[in-house]
Amino acid sequence: MLNDVFASLFKRPFTELYPYATHPAPARLRGKLLWDESKCKGCMLCVKDCPARAIEIDVADRAAKKYVFHYHIDRCIYCAQCVASCKENALSMSSELYHLASTDKRKFTEVYRGVGKGACVEEAGSEGEAP
Amino acid sequence: MNVVLAIVAMILFPGGLFVMVGSLAYEYVDRKLIARFQNRVGPRWFQPLADLVKLLVKEEIVPAGVNRGLFIWLPVAALAAAFTAALYIPMAGLAPTWGYRGDLVVTVYLLMMMTLCIGLAGANTMDRFSIVGSTRALTQLFSYEAPFLLALLGPAIAAGTWRISEVNGYARESMWMIVTQPLGFLVALIGLMGKLELPPFDAPEAETEIVSGALTEYSGRGLAFFRLGRDVELLVGLTLISAFYLGGLANPLQFVLKTIALLFITAALQSLFARLRIDQTVGLWWRAGAMLALVQLLILIGLKTLGVHL
Amino acid sequence: MSTEMTLGGMTELLKPWTVASRPVSDTRLEVVTTAADIVPAVGALKSVQWGFLSAITGLDLSAPAQAAGTAANPDPGGSARNGGGFEVLYHFCRGPSVLTFRVKLPRDTPTVPTLSAVVPSALIYEKELAETFGVTIEGIPDRRRQFLSDDWPTNLYPMRKDFSPGSAEGIAQAAPVAAAALERRGTPGTFIVPIGPQHPALKEPGHFELTVDGEIVTHAAIRLGYVHRGIEKGAEDRSWIHNIYLMERICGICSHIHSTAYVLGVEKLAGTVVPPRAQAIRTIFAEMERVHSHLLWLGVAAHEAGFDTLFMYSWRDRETIMDLLEEISGNRVNYSVNLLGGVKYDIDAKGADSLRRGMDFLEKRTRHYLKIVTNDESFLRRTRGVGNITFEQANILGTVGPTARASGVSRDLRVEAPYMAYADFPVKTVLDTRCDLEARFVVRINELFESYRLIRAILEKLPPGDLAAASPRRVPEGEVISRVEAPRGELFYFIRSSGGVKPDRVKVRTPSLCNWAAVLSVAVGHKLADIPMIMVGIDPCFSCNDRSITVRRRGGDECWSWEELRRYGISYYGGEA
Repeated sequence: MLNDVFASLFKRPFTELYPYATHPAPARLRGKLLWDESKCKGCMLCVKDCPARAIEIDVADRAAKKYVFHYHIDRCIYCAQCVASCKENALSMSSELYHLASTDKRKFTEVYRGVGKGACVEEAGSEGEAP
Repeated sequence: MNVVLAIVAMILFPGGLFVMVGSLAYEYVDRKLIARFQNRVGPRWFQPLADLVKLLVKEEIVPAGVNRGLFIWLPVAALAAAFTAALYIPMAGLAPTWGYRGDLVVTVYLLMMMTLCIGLAGANTMDRFSIVGSTRALTQLFSYEAPFLLALLGPAIAAGTWRISEVNGYARESMWMIVTQPLGFLVALIGLMGKLELPPFDAPEAETEIVSGALTEYSGRGLAFFRLGRDVELLVGLTLISAFYLGGLANPLQFVLKTIALLFITAALQSLFARLRIDQTVGLWWRAGAMLALVQLLILIGLKTLGVHL
Repeated sequence: MSTEMTLGGMTELLKPWTVASRPVSDTRLEVVTTAADIVPAVGALKSVQWGFLSAITGLDLSAPAQAAGTAANPDPGGSARNGGGFEVLYHFCRGPSVLTFRVKLPRDTPTVPTLSAVVPSALIYEKELAETFGVTIEGIPDRRRQFLSDDWPTNLYPMRKDFSPGSAEGIAQAAPVAAAALERRGTPGTFIVPIGPQHPALKEPGHFELTVDGEIVTHAAIRLGYVHRGIEKGAEDRSWIHNIYLMERICGICSHIHSTAYVLGVEKLAGTVVPPRAQAIRTIFAEMERVHSHLLWLGVAAHEAGFDTLFMYSWRDRETIMDLLEEISGNRVNYSVNLLGGVKYDIDAKGADSLRRGMDFLEKRTRHYLKIVTNDESFLRRTRGVGNITFEQANILGTVGPTARASGVSRDLRVEAPYMAYADFPVKTVLDTRCDLEARFVVRINELFESYRLIRAILEKLPPGDLAAASPRRVPEGEVISRVEAPRGELFYFIRSSGGVKPDRVKVRTPSLCNWAAVLSVAVGHKLADIPMIMVGIDPCFSCNDRSITVRRRGGDECWSWEELRRYGISYYGGEA
């Protein structure tokens, strides 16, 4: 014990001076949910399987496969069941967007508007800030 | 001593402001050292000051069922005693402000006031944890106080005087008493840790057993005074022991170096052990501590009688 | 094992009190008996020292059964409903075998006699049954509430099917129990030190009433239920998939093992065959969780002893395993690895590499901690010879997990009834016979070594294949018992399906609940300073214990300003606001 204690004096402290010094997050970190509109077929399995009812999908145009994806950041428990349930791999969880706390409740609903067979356009709800 | 100088001594230096700032600085060094021993970063330099200010501005809640006067004035008495003790020791390596024959005993008495006040404060409160904490604090007081006094007596006997400034002077001239009276030094240092209820002797305020011991119900100003008093006692105690055992304090540089060295050893001891139960503390003191101190004294008296000059 | 001790032998032994007896599988036997006969039947079991009482499950049979088709299923139990009564199941376990007594009770007067005279540890389970189902337990030695809060209205039983958490009528009208009616504990003249519900020693709230005389404890009583969240009731309202995540959140430290016990049970009911790679990955996660739990416990126990340096060092090293868990699953706590039928995440070459390096580092550090724990004088004075639970006590009181193994009772489900990949990668039971706190430290640290070895062994021979198999959304009718070895001991799940998309009943009996009886009996005679150490010695997890509901009175804003809160606090304690 004595050696440990004295050796620690000369070692760099293990604790970090967060937020001035940060650690890069691992690639598999389950951060904010991202929706790839081009792959979504509107099967609603993610809505059904979410334990926290964090996903709602409105059908804007069924024929053109145009959907509006409502994601409740505050309800989500980041379990990634939706990612596993989706057979088209349309969902993924970001490993960079994880500073999602906010003092304003309005920022907790992210609305992704699909454009039907096109790229996804995010509405100005909030962007989780990257560190 | 004229009145103006006396007031300056009590308020600015060496009492009052100087001792307050010094004790906060020493608390910082202590906490930082312990943190580094535990591989952490530790607080920043102004943390003890921030803690003090924060406590002072908080509401002081007086619990029901206590004697209000005692509750408010005990912390003040404890702090006042600690500040007064600072006037008799060679603070900052300079001569003590006041001195007279027997001021060693008075200083030890003043240092004891803190623990006594804590014990009384705990008994005053109706809270279970305070009562258990106060019992433990007073038990610990009875067990280490005698060996501590005996350990401080050793250098006094060697110097042949009861006056702190003369013991200091004697220590400056002769060989460091840590070498000639090692047992006494050990007992004195550990005794200081027991007096201040530093780990591993922190059974009276064991956080995981009795919340905060005697100080559980204290908040705001009262708690600030108790904590500050403890820091002042740390400073005073370290000064006293380094003056006696580490070859006296001749100037401010020696003061800083020697007291910080002692603080380093104290911080290391705080990090190395698990907490002792109160019965183990008492057992340790009444057996090992008192025995060592007595043996040291006997050796000393024996050598003195034989005419050996140390 | 002699024939008498097998399940077949038990059928013979219990004949005088049996109404009907049915072997469900080669490890499970069900004996239907009556309320009048349950005590002598259990007595007969105890006289041959067969097993220990693992759990008591209550069932409310009044919900209409959903016709689910006749899928072939292993446990067609309970399909003959008796139209709305209650059923109490007493589960006795011995190694891999489970003997269940079923007692049917009428709905209007459900009464059973108490087992606590024969089985002392039954008291805690019977109280839970009485409070949540409203079953009257005759002869119960003390009537104080244990799980539900003192101001929960009487005659309102949350686990009955006719109670739904959303309905406010019953609660709003029921008058709260007046403060004066709350039983005063302790007799005058005794000095009681309350540990909890708010106490720095407790990481979660629980209430221990210790009557002390100076520094010696003369009596100990317990009150749980402060983090009760209505999980068992909530499980009946959520789909099979949703429940994986609900069960995971019963506890932060044992989250994976809870969801594993659940999915193993559901897969058995549904007949899903899980691919071997998935089972192996689940096992690796279970062992990683065990490593995390034991390192965390080492720090907490050191902190309770006042040894903050060891606390800081062990938690620093715990960061290694947390980083590994995050690297592979994506989260440090609540790894959410399980799916019904397999796992979500694979361990690729890079992950395996990091794991191996992590295990090497942790093994070195663990050796160092073993040396400290067995050699440091000041620490040994707090742990050696303290908190002795003898072999007999551990056996009779039904302790499980490392607490039992430190008293020489060899209970480890991974060895007795291997599940997941433990059949292919066997575990050695870590036993110690010294029975004191130091033994519990040594057992847990040695289990760490076993876990490191096991993780390395599985990584060496990770079976190839799929990560998950398809699993039906409607689980066929049946009952299943799923028992796994959590870091704290045996975790017991009883899952009942009526063939629908939601479970009919999920009963969770966590290991910490088993070990409280041991703490209470051992606490008396020890010094006050030893009590936090003894409590932490069983590695208590209050979140696992409690599963109540709080009262939300109708009307009134749920959102309070600081001023309102302050005034409420002052008036609650009888002061003037």
